[in-house]
Amino acid sequence: MLEIARYAGRKRLKGSAAMTAGIAALTTMYVLLFPSITESADLDEIIQAYPPSLVEAFGIRTLNTIEGFLATELYAFAWVILLGLYFAYAGAGLIAADVERGRMDVTLSLPITRSRLLLEKFTSLLVPLVVTNAVMPVVVFVGVLAVGEDVNMARILMAHVLSMPYLLACGAIGLVASVAVNRASLAQRAAAGAVFALFLFESVVAGTDVEFLGALSPTRYYAPADILVDGTYDFAGAAILLAGTAALVLASREWFRRKDVE
Amino acid sequence: MTAIEVSGLTKDYGDVLANDDVTFDVASGEVFGYLGPNGAGKTTTIRTLMGFQSPTDGTATVLGADVREESELVAAKRRVGYLPANPAFDETATGREVLDLHASIKGDERREELLELFEPPLDRPIRDYSTGNVQKLGLVQAFMHDPDLVVMDEPTSGLDPLLQRRFNEFVREERDRGTTVFLSSHVLSEVRQICDRVGIIREGRMVAVETVADLLGRSGKSVHFRIAGGVDPEAIDLAGAHDPVIERVDAPDEGSRRVTEVAFTYTGDVNELADFLAGFDLLEFDVEEAPLEDVFMRFYGDDESERTDEGERSANGLRSTSDQRSDGGDR
Repeated sequence: MLEIARYAGRKRLKGSAAMTAGIAALTTMYVLLFPSITESADLDEIIQAYPPSLVEAFGIRTLNTIEGFLATELYAFAWVILLGLYFAYAGAGLIAADVERGRMDVTLSLPITRSRLLLEKFTSLLVPLVVTNAVMPVVVFVGVLAVGEDVNMARILMAHVLSMPYLLACGAIGLVASVAVNRASLAQRAAAGAVFALFLFESVVAGTDVEFLGALSPTRYYAPADILVDGTYDFAGAAILLAGTAALVLASREWFRRKDVE
Repeated sequence: MTAIEVSGLTKDYGDVLANDDVTFDVASGEVFGYLGPNGAGKTTTIRTLMGFQSPTDGTATVLGADVREESELVAAKRRVGYLPANPAFDETATGREVLDLHASIKGDERREELLELFEPPLDRPIRDYSTGNVQKLGLVQAFMHDPDLVVMDEPTSGLDPLLQRRFNEFVREERDRGTTVFLSSHVLSEVRQICDRVGIIREGRMVAVETVADLLGRSGKSVHFRIAGGVDPEAIDLAGAHDPVIERVDAPDEGSRRVTEVAFTYTGDVNELADFLAGFDLLEFDVEEAPLEDVFMRFYGDDESERTDEGERSANGLRSTSDQRSDGGDR
C-alpha cells in the first residue's frame, strides 16, 4: 500500500522546498520591515482610507501589532491566496497530467484500482502541506525574535494548523478539475480560477443580503485575522472544510472510476 | 484454457465505431498477432481489454476476469504485462526509479535478466531518453514480474532492426516457457516471424482469425521483374500468379532497348516460380512479402469498389494501394 503516494510525494519534495523557501523569503522581508514601518506611520490610519470591501476581503483588523500585520500581509495573501492557488493547481495536475502525457495507461496497467490511485495521488499533496506549515512557524518565530518583537506563537501555530483543511479543500477543488478535464493546463487554470473566484465571491457578498452564499467558498472557514488578532479558532469551519474535501475527493473518485481514460 | 476471450466487443466513440462486434479467443500459451492497418481499431480493443475504457456493448475476459469488473481485472493484472503503443513514463524520473515503483507494486523477479537483454539506460532522467530507449524500458516493465499474459500494442515500433530480432527471439522463448503473448501490428512480416495465429481487424470489424501458416499460404508474394524486349501477356501463364500487370517502359538507363515490366502476386510454389523465370532474360527481379493491404483486399475486401478484380489492376492501382499504408494514426 501507499507505493504511489510515496513515489508521488517524493517527487513533490523539491517543489515544496522551493516554494517554502520563496514564502520564507517573503515572510522574512515582512517581519524585518515591520519595526521601521510601524515607527514611521500609523498604519491603522491608512487602513481607514482603504475601501471597506478591501479591508473585508483581506480581513484587515490592525497593522500596528505584529499579529495583525502578519495576518494581513502574510497569511491573508500568501496563505489564503498564493498557497490556495498552489494547491488548486497541484491538485488539478494529479490525474489530468498523466492522462494528457499518455502516462496513465502504464500506471493503470499496474494491479491497483483507480480508487487507490486517485486517493494515493491526493495524499501526495500532504508533502507540500506539511513542509510549508512545519517550516514557516519557525521562520516567523526567528524573524520576530530578530527584530526584537514579541509574537503570540500559539496563535501563529493555530494559523498554520487551521490552514491545512483550507489548503486541502483547495487541492480537492483541483482534483475535481483534474478528473473532469483531460488537459492538465486547462484543469489547472479552471481550478485556480475557481479558487480565486470563490475568494472574490465571498468578499463581495460579505455584508450584503446574500452573504450566506459566501458559505460556498472555502475562504469563509479560514480567517487568519480572527486567529492571530482575536485568538478565536474556528474549529467548526475546519471541520466543514475537511468534510467538503472528503466530499470532493469521493466525488472525483466515483467519476474517475467510471470514466474512459483517453 | 483461454487467456483472452473477446465476445461481441463494440466501442462506439460517437463519431467512429472503432470496434464493431469483435469476437475472438487467445489460447493460453500462444502468441497471437492482432493485425490490421493503422486506424483499424486495434488499440481500441487493447485498451478495452486493459480496462482503460468500457465497451459500448459486448465484453471480454482477461485471464478469466471480466474487463467490466474492476476488482476482477485488477486481481488478474498481477499476472498481466502491458506495453502501450507509445509508452510514456514520468519524465522527471530515471528509468531505475520507474522500475523501482513498478517493482514495489507488481514484483520484479526477472528484472536483471531483462535489463541485460534490452539494456535501457537506468540512471538518466527519462526526458533525455530516445524513443527506442523508452520502448526498451517499456519492454522491461512489461515482463519484469514474470506475467502469464503480456499484451503489447505495436511492440517493435521504435526498435532498431538488431533489437527487433532480439525481441523476436525473446518472444519465441517466452512462448516456450508458456507465456501467452497478445500483440498488435500493422506489418505482416513482423507477425509472421513470431505469431502462431493472427486475428485480422479492418475498419473495426474482425475479418479473419487463422494460423500464420494459412495466412501466408494465401497472402503470397509480390513478384516484380524487368525483362529486355517485349513479352506476350499470354506468356505469363504461371499457376498461382494473380493480377499480372505487364507494362512496356522506356527506361533511360537501358539505352534505346525496349524494356517490359511485369508484376504479379504469387501464391504458388517458389520452385515453380524459379523455373518459370529461368525462361526470361531478367534485368531486375524482386520478390517481397505482399503488402498487408493487398492481402486484405485479395481475401477480405468487402467493398466492391476497393476490390481489384483480376486483369483490372493497373500500375496506378498498385500505387494507390501502397499509399494507403501511410494513413493516419491508430485509435
